[in-house]
Amino acid sequence: MAIELKISEVKMSAEQSGKWGMVIDQDICTGCQACVAACAMENNISFVGEVDSGYGRSMHWIRIERFWEGEYPEVKMTANQPMLCQQCGHATCEPVCPAFATVHSQAEQLNLQVYNRCVGTRYCANNCPYQVRAFNWRDYKRPEPLSNQLNPDVTVRRVGVMEKCTFCIQRIHKAQDVAKSEGREVVDGEFTTACAQACPANAITFGRVDDPESLVSQLMKQSHGVKHLEELGTLPNVTYFKGG
Amino acid sequence: MSNKFSRRDFLKLAGVGAATTAILTGCGPASRFVKREPYMQMPEYTYNGLSTYYATTCRECAAGCGLVVRTSQGRALKVEGNANNPLNLGKTCARGQATLQGLYNPNRVRGPIKHTRGERLYTADANPFQDEFADATPNMDWDAATQAVADALKNHKPEEIAFLMGMAPDHLFDLVTDLAAATGINAPVRFGALSMFESRATLSQAAENLFGHGGLPLFDVGGAEVVFSFGANFLETWLSPVSYTRGFAGLREAKTKQRGTFIQFESRMSSTAGKADEWMPIRPGTEAMVALAIGKLVSDARGITVPHAFSDVDPVVVASRSGIALATLQHLAGIFANSTAALAIPGGAALGQSNGLAVAEAVLALNALAENFGRHGGVFFSALAPNQTEYQRPASAREMQEFAQKMADGKFKVLFVHGVNPVFELPASLDFKNALKGVEQVISFATFPDETAFESDYVFPDHHSLESWGYQRVVTGPAQSVLSGAQPVVSPFYDTRATADVLIAAAQLAGGEFATALPFTDEVEFLRSKIAPLMEEKQSFFSAPDLNTFTAYFQQYGGWWKTSDGRRVPNTSNALGREMSPAEAKFAGEGEFFFVPFVSPTMAEAGANKPWLQELPDPTTTVMWNTWVEINPVTAEELGLLDDDIVKITSEAGVLEVPVYRYPAIRPDTIAIPFGQGHTAYSRYAEGRGKNPADLLGQHFNEAGDLAFAGMKVKIEKTGKQQPLSRLESIMGVYGVGLGEEK
Amino acid sequence: MIKRLIDWLKKPLGLIAVGIAFLALFSLAAYGISLTQTAPAQPVQFPHKTHVGFGIQCLYCHPGAAKGPSAGIPTEAKCWGCHNQIQKTQTSALLQPLKDSVISGVPLQWVPVAQVADFVQFNHRAHVAAGQNCENCHGDMSKVTVAENPQVFNMGFCLKCHQTVAGDNHELLVKLTDCGTCHY
Repeated sequence: MAIELKISEVKMSAEQSGKWGMVIDQDICTGCQACVAACAMENNISFVGEVDSGYGRSMHWIRIERFWEGEYPEVKMTANQPMLCQQCGHATCEPVCPAFATVHSQAEQLNLQVYNRCVGTRYCANNCPYQVRAFNWRDYKRPEPLSNQLNPDVTVRRVGVMEKCTFCIQRIHKAQDVAKSEGREVVDGEFTTACAQACPANAITFGRVDDPESLVSQLMKQSHGVKHLEELGTLPNVTYFKGG
Repeated sequence: MSNKFSRRDFLKLAGVGAATTAILTGCGPASRFVKREPYMQMPEYTYNGLSTYYATTCRECAAGCGLVVRTSQGRALKVEGNANNPLNLGKTCARGQATLQGLYNPNRVRGPIKHTRGERLYTADANPFQDEFADATPNMDWDAATQAVADALKNHKPEEIAFLMGMAPDHLFDLVTDLAAATGINAPVRFGALSMFESRATLSQAAENLFGHGGLPLFDVGGAEVVFSFGANFLETWLSPVSYTRGFAGLREAKTKQRGTFIQFESRMSSTAGKADEWMPIRPGTEAMVALAIGKLVSDARGITVPHAFSDVDPVVVASRSGIALATLQHLAGIFANSTAALAIPGGAALGQSNGLAVAEAVLALNALAENFGRHGGVFFSALAPNQTEYQRPASAREMQEFAQKMADGKFKVLFVHGVNPVFELPASLDFKNALKGVEQVISFATFPDETAFESDYVFPDHHSLESWGYQRVVTGPAQSVLSGAQPVVSPFYDTRATADVLIAAAQLAGGEFATALPFTDEVEFLRSKIAPLMEEKQSFFSAPDLNTFTAYFQQYGGWWKTSDGRRVPNTSNALGREMSPAEAKFAGEGEFFFVPFVSPTMAEAGANKPWLQELPDPTTTVMWNTWVEINPVTAEELGLLDDDIVKITSEAGVLEVPVYRYPAIRPDTIAIPFGQGHTAYSRYAEGRGKNPADLLGQHFNEAGDLAFAGMKVKIEKTGKQQPLSRLESIMGVYGVGLGEEK
Repeated sequence: MIKRLIDWLKKPLGLIAVGIAFLALFSLAAYGISLTQTAPAQPVQFPHKTHVGFGIQCLYCHPGAAKGPSAGIPTEAKCWGCHNQIQKTQTSALLQPLKDSVISGVPLQWVPVAQVADFVQFNHRAHVAAGQNCENCHGDMSKVTVAENPQVFNMGFCLKCHQTVAGDNHELLVKLTDCGTCHY
C-alpha cells in the first residue's frame, strides 16, 4: 500500500525530529504539583489508592522528581525535575510493541499510544529510559458522581492498557480544528497543554519546535538547555533548563 | 444565568449484553447502545459537544484566585485559571485544579438533615475503593429547615447567637456582618487552620507595632534581588501561594538584572526551602536573634551606626545558639548589605513560637534597614479589597480558645457553622468537640460531611463553591484592589441551598429587626446591592452604564478590580528605633525533639476528601495518601528506626503514632509532621487516613494570640510496629508484600 | 481418570456431547453479539423519510454537525415548535410521548444508532467542512423510517474514505491515516 512506502521515505535526522516541543525551566519549578493535578483532571487519569500507588502503580503522566545531594547540614535538594513523556523523535518504546499500539505519529510527530490496539505486554514501559509510561493494572473505580468530571475528548482507559502523556493531543486537534474553521493557521500560544496552562511559576512552555519564531524555539536556543538521555539517540522533544 | 441548566447524566448506559460487548469493544462503555436525552430547551449559548466557559472564584483556600471552568452539557469538566484576574493571571495551584473532585465528591451532604449529634452521615468502616457507600438521607424539606433557622434566630437573645465562618472574607461574611450589626447578635468569627499556621494575627500585630498601623504586609518577591525568608513557606500554602510563586519566578528568571538570591531559615527543609540557594537549618526559637544579628552585621558592613533595634544582640552568642556559624552570618549579612533590593519575609513556623511577635518585628526591621518599603521588590501593605476599610483578619487561636470557652460555659445557645471544620482544624487540646456540648443548638451549613457536621443538630448543606453565587475579597497578592466574583457554573447536584438564601428567608420569617436587616428577596439581590457601589469607582477594569450590564460584566470577567496600584506604603519612621528582644523562644513540654507541624503543601486543611490530592506526592518526601513524621537519618539510626517504623510521639497535650520517613534535610533535634490528614469523617477518601498533628498541640500562644504550634518539645518512642508509606520516589514500589502484611 | 474421560469423549456419545456444548457456547456468543447490534426501541417512532420528504434540511434539526463534534438531537421544544402548529400531529397518538415530554419537562430518551466506539474521537464539523454530505456516512435518510444505521462504523469504513479523499496528496494522506488523528 501507498502508506508503507511513504513511511520508509521519512528521514530520521535530528533536524526533522519534532513538531511539538516543550521547554521546562527547572530553576523556577517549585514542585507544587499543579501540573500533575492539571494533567490528571484533563486526561481522565485514574487515581489508584494507597496500596497500588505503594506498589508503584500510580498513573501520573507527569511526575516531579527531586533528588538529594550531600548530607546534613550540607544537604541540597536538586532542582525539581518534571518528568513526562519526551515525545522522542526516535523513541525506544515504539519498535518493541508487538501490537503496533505505540506508533509514531507522522502528522504530529508524537509518540502515540493507541489504546484499542494495546494488548498490555508492557514492553514499551520497560524499554522507556524515562520511565514515564503508566499501566492500568485494574479497572480503577470512579464512584458516581465522580465520573461526571470525565473529559469527553479523551478516551477512558480500562484494565490492561498502557497510557502516557500525549502532549494533550486533544487540545492540539481542537486548536487545529478551530483555526481551520476560521481559515487560518494555529498561532503560537493560542493553546497550550494542561500542565503548562496551570503552572503558577510559568516554568513550562509548549509550542512548535519546527517554527523558529515560536516562543519555545526561541527558548530552546538558550545555551543552558539540556535534553535528558540525549546520548541514547532518542531525540527527545523536551528541553530542560537546569536549576541554579 | 447558568442555573437554568438542566443537569442530566448525558450518557446513560443501558446494560445490554454487557459482558459480551466488554470483550468486543475492549475499551469504552460496557454496552454498545446508550440513551441520550436532549435539552428540553437548548440555552442559546450552548451547542452540543461544544464547551461553555464560566468565570468564578476558587474557594479551596482563602486567597481567592479567579477560575474559568469548562462545562459541557451541564457538567463541569475542567478548572483553569482566569487570565484576567490580577491575582493569579490564569494560573492555578494543585488544590484549585482538584476543585471538581469536591463538586463531584461521592460523599456530599444531599439535603437538609435533622441529625443526632455524633451520628454518622455516611456508611462507616467501608473500603473506599470497593464498597458501596450510603449517604444520610435528607429528612426535612427546605421550608422546615428555613423555619428551624428562623426559630433559632427569633427564640434566643441576640448575644446567645454566634456565627463561626471560614477564613475567606466573602459575601456571606458581609451578609452575616450586616445582620449582626443590625440585630445585636455576635459578630461573625472567621477562622481556618491555614490562618492558624500562617500566624496572620502576628503579622498584622507586628506591622502595627512597627508602623503604627495594622494590616497584612505584601512582600514583592518578584522585584527583589535578595530574599531572606524566615520560615515563610510562600511557595506552598502561605497567604496566596499562586501569586507568590509567580513572584518567585520573577526573582529567578530576572530579565533585566541578575538571577535573584533566595535564602531560607528553617529547621526543616520545606519545599519552599528546597528552592533556596542556601538553606539555613536554624535552631528553632532563635529566629529573632538571627534576624537581629544579621541586622547588626549588615549595619557594620555598610559602616553605618547600628540602629537601636539591633544594638542589643551579640552575633557571637547568636552563632553559638542558632547553629549558624559566625562566618556564615557575616557572609549572609554581606549578601543582604550589598543588594539594592533586599527583602526579608517572616512566616510559617518561625511565627508560631512563644516569641513569634518578636520574630516578625525583627524580620520586618530588617526590611526597614534595607529601606525597601514601598519600593519595587520591597514591603507594602496589601491593597485593600473593594468594600473594605481596613484589614479584617481571621480569628487568632487565642480568640478561638475564648470562643470555645464561651460555648462550654453555655454563653452561646445557638451556633451556626459555615465553611470551617473547627473540630478537626483546632488543636485537640482545645477540645472544641466537648465545648459544642455547651451549645443548645448547633446548625452546620457544611457541604461535606465533616467532623463538625457530625457534631451538629442540623446540617443544612450549602452549595459547592462551583454551584454558588458570591464574591470574595482578595486580601493579599495583587497590586490592585480586587473583588473576585463567583457564579454557578453548574446547577446544584443535590438538594442543597445557598446559605445566604436560607438566612435571608429565615430573617424574613423571624420578622422584626431581622427582616429589616436583610430586606432582600434572595442572595443575588443582596450581591447586587453590594456590587452596585463599585459602578461609581474610578480606574476600574470595566465600567457599565447600568447595574444589569455591570453585574453581567462582573460575572463574565469573574469579578471587579481596579487598574491602579492600591498597595499602601507603611510609615517606617519609627521602625528601627524600637527596642527588640533577642530572647529565645520558650518551648513547652518535655522531650528532646522540637516539634514542627506544617501544612501539607498539596492537601492543606481541606483537601483530604479529594482523591487526586491524596494521590499527589508530597513535593519533598513524595509520600501519598498518608501522614509521616520526618526524622533526620542520623537521629533515626541512633533510635534504631528505619523508614515505615511507627513511632509513638508524646507531647504534653497528646500522643500520636506515625510512621517514620527518614528525611535528610531536617535538624537532628527536630521532627516534623504534615497537617491535613487524620480525619475521623469528611468522606470516604479522607476518613481513617493518616494522623492529625493537631492532636499533639497544646494551648500556648505568642504575644499576638496566635498559636505557638511550633513551640513544643516532644518525646519519641519506637513501637515496633510498621506501616508502609506509599511514595513516588521509589518507582518500583515500596511494598515487598501487601500493605498491612508482615514484612 | 483423565484418560477415561478422553476415551469417553472419543466415543460417539462423547462426540455428540462435545458438539452440543460447542453449539451451545457458539449460539450464546452469537446471541450476545446480536444483542449488541440490535438497537433498543426508540421512544417515538420517528420517520426520517417523512421529514426529509418535506424538504427539511438535516442541519435544521442537527445543527451541531456544522459547528462541532456532535450533531446532536433536537430539543423537544424544537420538535413541538412545528408539531404544535400542525393539527394532525397535535393529537396523534404516535406523538403522545413527545407531547407528554413537553408538558412534563422530562426529556425523551433517544437511542442514537450512528455511533463510533469510545476510543474514537470523531468530529462532525471537520467532515462537513471537508464537503462530505450527511448521506455519505448515514445513508439515504429519505428511505429510512425509524432511525437505523446502514453502516457499521468500523475502522475499515473510515479509512477507505480517508484514503480515497487523500488520493495522491501525500501530506493529507499522512494526516488522514495517522492513528493520532482519531485515537487519543
